[in-house]
Amino acid sequence: MHSIEIRSLSKKFGNACVLNNISLQIKQNEIFGFLGPNGAGKSTTMMILATLIKPTSGTVIVNGFDTVYESAKVREHIGYVQQEITVDEYLTGRENLLLQARLNHIPNSLIDNRINDVLALIELENKQDDLVTTYSGGMRKRLDIGGSLLHKPQVIFLDEPTVGLDIQTRRKIWEYIKKIRNNLNTSIFLSTHYMEEADELCDRIAIVDHGTIKVIDTPTKLKNNFGNEILRIGIETDVDVKKLTSKINSIEKYVEKINFDNKILTVFSTNCEKIIPIILKSFLDLKIKINSVSMSKPTLDDVFIKYTGQNLNLENSGYNMKKEYRKLKNIRT
Amino acid sequence: MIILYDIYSIMWREIKRYSKSKFGIVIRLIQPVIWIIVVGHTFTQTGPLIASVGFSGDYIEFITPGIIVLTSIFTSIFGGVNTLWDRRYGFINKVLISPISRSAIALGKMIAISFIATIQSCLILGISFILGVNMPHYLHMLLIIAIMILFSLGFSGISIIVASIARSQETFWATINFLGMPLFMLSPALFPLELLPSWLSYVAKLNPVTYTIVLVRDIMNNQAHTNLELGLTIIIIFVSITTIIASFVFTRDVKKPF
Repeated sequence: MHSIEIRSLSKKFGNACVLNNISLQIKQNEIFGFLGPNGAGKSTTMMILATLIKPTSGTVIVNGFDTVYESAKVREHIGYVQQEITVDEYLTGRENLLLQARLNHIPNSLIDNRINDVLALIELENKQDDLVTTYSGGMRKRLDIGGSLLHKPQVIFLDEPTVGLDIQTRRKIWEYIKKIRNNLNTSIFLSTHYMEEADELCDRIAIVDHGTIKVIDTPTKLKNNFGNEILRIGIETDVDVKKLTSKINSIEKYVEKINFDNKILTVFSTNCEKIIPIILKSFLDLKIKINSVSMSKPTLDDVFIKYTGQNLNLENSGYNMKKEYRKLKNIRT
Repeated sequence: MIILYDIYSIMWREIKRYSKSKFGIVIRLIQPVIWIIVVGHTFTQTGPLIASVGFSGDYIEFITPGIIVLTSIFTSIFGGVNTLWDRRYGFINKVLISPISRSAIALGKMIAISFIATIQSCLILGISFILGVNMPHYLHMLLIIAIMILFSLGFSGISIIVASIARSQETFWATINFLGMPLFMLSPALFPLELLPSWLSYVAKLNPVTYTIVLVRDIMNNQAHTNLELGLTIIIIFVSITTIIASFVFTRDVKKPF
């Protein structure tokens, strides 16, 4: 059984089509990333999965239950951490968790233990009796994530879990997310617009834009599909290129193509990290002096830009340049 | 009865928030106390006037029940404002995806607001004793508390209705002021109904606040409770109607994107 199954899901708000015929399946214990620019439909998808809004058409099955017809059943087994920080500032950390535990109908006899476990996981034991007003942004987020774990949900939705946090805090939260997956054996559906986050955490990624899924694959495959890794080596003097290339070609497992032009040797490879030591060693053997070495690797950024188009900033916020221009013109005349 | 547990959970949170804001508790007392002190002492000369409608005490004793009800009205009608914050900052969404029953959210909030309003009114009642107001039977305070709980539940319902429909703080406050002040002024809080022009007194007789003030005043001054049943019936009808509407409107509107 899949944790989440989305079948040709569409959502319209008035005339605006926010999601257009999305289908995907998320396996058990998988971290699945929904990657897309602002306004791509990430939060809408998540709200539909979390039973907050109803789809215009299509079916969503979470944990074997339909989100429209069996929403009460779905709600028993999901945790949802919204983009905004939703903990109550005027309560203490522990009181927030207590409230969340009660909202999720955890039996009274279990509540204390569950809260202690969660506090240990999010490392807030020392601050548990302080008002949340004294917490930093990162601590609030951790508390928010902790609150969604109390009832041991089978699926957790994380809507942009690290937006607005510094890189140390972000890494800390990544750590927790991995721990949650391993300790609680949950599936995690995560939306983000940070490439490195998707790269670091996700088993699979869907790149979404304008309400459609552009591609679904593992981060590694996405990067490899997009292009090979490129190694450039600058060489001092003219050398016996044939001898060199034949030597490099012998590592055929990773090398795809070699170019030599203008004292620069370019190697297209599927795994530069593996071939660099071997190539450098062959240079040493042939006593060739190296001037410079540079390696470029396609990142998820490249993949993302490729699938969502270059002009991200203008398109993603629903800003239509032509329309705005026309408006301006009307004002002037 | 899981819904009672859900109501309790929501209520627990609201009351926790209230109890932590000591400043808020005190600041809310100041205005009613000013009313009692300033207006209560300014209009002492109206003694013969209120005596002419059958009231046998000082003006300050006449106005105190009105101010107790005023405290209750405004504490409860303002009480729903955090619903707007809860929606804005996603707290409501968090509650909505939990297995909790949806009308429990509205009811829990209403009961909490009513509880808070009752505490505030009781504090005013206590202060009025310090200011020299007397009650013939102090045990009758329990009756007043019961009436306050019921009455403010109705007004907390109005507050929840407005907070559910209003899309912004501005709309909320404008609507609440539009509703709160006339309901207070068109009641015998400050002056006997008999002094109102007759057409206005008809309007005042449609106002549930009128019956509440008359009830509390009768109890505090040991008047014959001639209209106890009528008053209680009207308050109960008022509370039932606002509770049902609040629960319906909240459940309907809270799902809409905010």
